[in-house]
Amino acid sequence: MTIPGFVLRNAFRNKRRLVLTVLSVALSLFLFTLLQTALRELTQPAQTEESALRIVVRHKVSLGNVLPVKHQARIERIPGVRTCMKLTWFGGIYKDPKDFFPQFAVDADKIADIFAEARFDPQEVADFQKDRAGCIVGIKTMERFGWKVGDRITLQGTIWPCNPELTIRGVYRGGIDETNLFFHHEYMDELCGKLGLCGTFWIRADNTDVIPSLIERIDATFANTDAETKTETERAFVLEFVSMIGNVKLLIGSICSVIVFTMILVTASTMSMAIRERSREIAILKAIGFDGWQIFGLLLAESFGLAMVGGFLGCFGAWFGTWALFQHVNITTISNGMFIKFEVTPHIVVSGLLIAIVLGLVSCIAPAWSSVRMSVVAGLKELD
Amino acid sequence: MSPEPIVQIRNLTKLYRHGDLDVTALDNVSLDIAAGEFVALMGPSGSGKSTLLHIIAGIDRPTSGQCLVQGTDVGSLSETQLADWRNNHVGFVFQTFNLIPVLTAFENVELPLLLTSLSAAERRAHVTAALELVGLGDRMRHLPRQLSGGQEQRVAIARALVTDPTLLVADEPTGNLDAHSATEVLSLLQTLNHAAGKTIIMVTHDPKAAAYAGRTLHLEKGELLNGHDDSRLRSA
Repeated sequence: MTIPGFVLRNAFRNKRRLVLTVLSVALSLFLFTLLQTALRELTQPAQTEESALRIVVRHKVSLGNVLPVKHQARIERIPGVRTCMKLTWFGGIYKDPKDFFPQFAVDADKIADIFAEARFDPQEVADFQKDRAGCIVGIKTMERFGWKVGDRITLQGTIWPCNPELTIRGVYRGGIDETNLFFHHEYMDELCGKLGLCGTFWIRADNTDVIPSLIERIDATFANTDAETKTETERAFVLEFVSMIGNVKLLIGSICSVIVFTMILVTASTMSMAIRERSREIAILKAIGFDGWQIFGLLLAESFGLAMVGGFLGCFGAWFGTWALFQHVNITTISNGMFIKFEVTPHIVVSGLLIAIVLGLVSCIAPAWSSVRMSVVAGLKELD
Repeated sequence: MSPEPIVQIRNLTKLYRHGDLDVTALDNVSLDIAAGEFVALMGPSGSGKSTLLHIIAGIDRPTSGQCLVQGTDVGSLSETQLADWRNNHVGFVFQTFNLIPVLTAFENVELPLLLTSLSAAERRAHVTAALELVGLGDRMRHLPRQLSGGQEQRVAIARALVTDPTLLVADEPTGNLDAHSATEVLSLLQTLNHAAGKTIIMVTHDPKAAAYAGRTLHLEKGELLNGHDDSRLRSA
């Protein structure tokens, strides 16, 4: 027998309690990992070299307010702007509201430059640009509905008073959200009666250095007009979009704190019970030569081991579970487009494991310390 | 010529505080125990016999006075030194056996050796020898619950012996045993004293058990009674 073997035997002495405690830690850390992943996906959209060059111009009041299309020409004249594209959320229904996917009206001739990281077939882009009623669709939505290039679909407007009938002219893959559908802004304008409005302008800057000054210039250009703008980086725009749901960070942070605190209470309670019912054995160990710190170490190792097993199960369970689940299930579909992907990162797993370490240590300190202080005679009296 | 005392107790006093009240457990006790002696401590409940045993074994500290074991003032050692000293010098046998229920007989006996620098093979040899000495060579892989009370106590004796301690202290070792098992355990202790020269200090209520010892000391109200040093009393 070895000391680690002894620790293991002690841990396994009450198997039901061990299993329940490990499962409670595992389940808590599983939830923690999922919540942290959700928070990350919502608040830290992946940034590529291309997306770092994009800035978004919207109405200063809110995203719900639209901008006049005439702003586009003035923006394009500002130095540092390489491309400026209208992008308007259409929000239509395809067949049934549950068949949701994001649809945007855009400037067809600029989309490939704005979203340069997406892989477009040049021929398909050319076909899309030529057909005013054409659209280009992300591969995930194509696969979801079993569409192919040339198919015709109709969207029923819910925000805009029109029902565009579209022909799929191309498919794009990678880079950006693969569930989007892009169609001609001109076509929407025409169907809606030339309103001369758009939701946002998406700009590709010449380089990242000019972005801060560009943001200032654009907003200054439209200051004191009837449609003042708010310009921000794509990343900031996405974060603001998320904040419209509420203070997600605070909400998820609060839930995670409650989970961690509850875990500490559960594990501390388990360790207290385990140590208390072993008082006499601890006294015997001391009598035969184990000193207080060695006993402390044994108990700490047991608690630590228990928490780490739970931690590994929870964190890696979440990691593997989400990976396996989303091989078969479309996260975008089941989350109604809230999540494009749901990737448990090594950083999140490590955070979960660090919490397990802290949990293992903190939950054991008080009961183990009382064992260190307990005299052998006091421990022996408990048995008599 | 009498053998060198292995335990020298001088003016030992132990007070316990219960609220505002000081209770005297041992009152100015002085005593010598020679190496190789088998001493029984007898007395009514609360007489201080277990307290005296605990102080000699280094699991309790005197309020005043001195307890020297092989020249070491046990009361002056720090907790860590005391734990190490106990591991090297004292073997404990308790009334309720106190084996670790999740460990086999072999592992229970091996436990004190985990604190030594012995290799696994050396530990195995020591444990096997100790278990064979107490007649349990064929029960090594049994868990405590698979053993009888007498066998459990013999495992506890093997655990106490395995480090080859200076002193073997036994607190009511037959208190939880039937008459037959008690006789077996007491005979074993006597054999260890006679054949292996182990110094044994045993607390007991039972005069029959005390008869196995070479000397019986009586305590009452914390005092060692004069005229009750039955050094000539030895079981046949």
